[in-house]
Amino acid sequence: MPERTVSVASSIGLHARPAALFSQAAAKAGVPVTITNAAGKTVNAASILGVLSLGVDHGDQVTIAADGEGADAALDILAQLLGRDLDKE
Amino acid sequence: MARKPAPALAGLLAVESLRLGQSAVDRDDAIRQVGAALRDSGAVDDSYVEAMLERERSVSTYVGEGIAIPHATFAGSDAVRRDALAIVQFPAGVDWDGHDVRVCVGIAAQGNGHIALLSQLATVLLARDNAATLCAATSPQQVLGLLRPKHSK
Repeated sequence: MPERTVSVASSIGLHARPAALFSQAAAKAGVPVTITNAAGKTVNAASILGVLSLGVDHGDQVTIAADGEGADAALDILAQLLGRDLDKE
Repeated sequence: MARKPAPALAGLLAVESLRLGQSAVDRDDAIRQVGAALRDSGAVDDSYVEAMLERERSVSTYVGEGIAIPHATFAGSDAVRRDALAIVQFPAGVDWDGHDVRVCVGIAAQGNGHIALLSQLATVLLARDNAATLCAATSPQQVLGLLRPKHSK
């Protein structure tokens, strides 16, 4: 399954605004996307509660994965999103 | 987990910060009530409530399952005296940018304590039926029961 591992650039970590923006983007990806934290917990990336439950801080590595048509393109967009400081945008 | 252990959620909820069976005319009214519930326990200053409102205008804190988790960002952290939770339930619902919100969970945390707190809270709310139980709770004991860890993993 295609996946990308990235470190989270948002200075406040993946919660609040960055988590909301990331989940919204994942929901629009067209394919189911999962996100896994460094501890190995995997959740549905389109669920804000799921993403919040991972407790991802600034600089933590996460792995996003998706399968199906367009999975690679969707992951590229989401990985790029995680690599930006979403709280400043 | 290498990070400092997060405090037990139930211990962060003061008696005066748990308000069941309330009603609110709109989203901002609901946030003010949650903010007041935090302030009345001495956890935050008035300015935190304004920071919560401002943050909500920037991006919704609706998380699904009828629940919103309003909180301020770093800008509001100076107004936080201690980490705390507040829970205000609106059985008739509040229109939250088109979503129907039944429970507002307000959080206040010092420094980047939001992350551990939100993570714990989200884990509790994701567990089966917990969100629905919270929305329908009629006694403080039911709510506190949800927030107490059954077992740690």
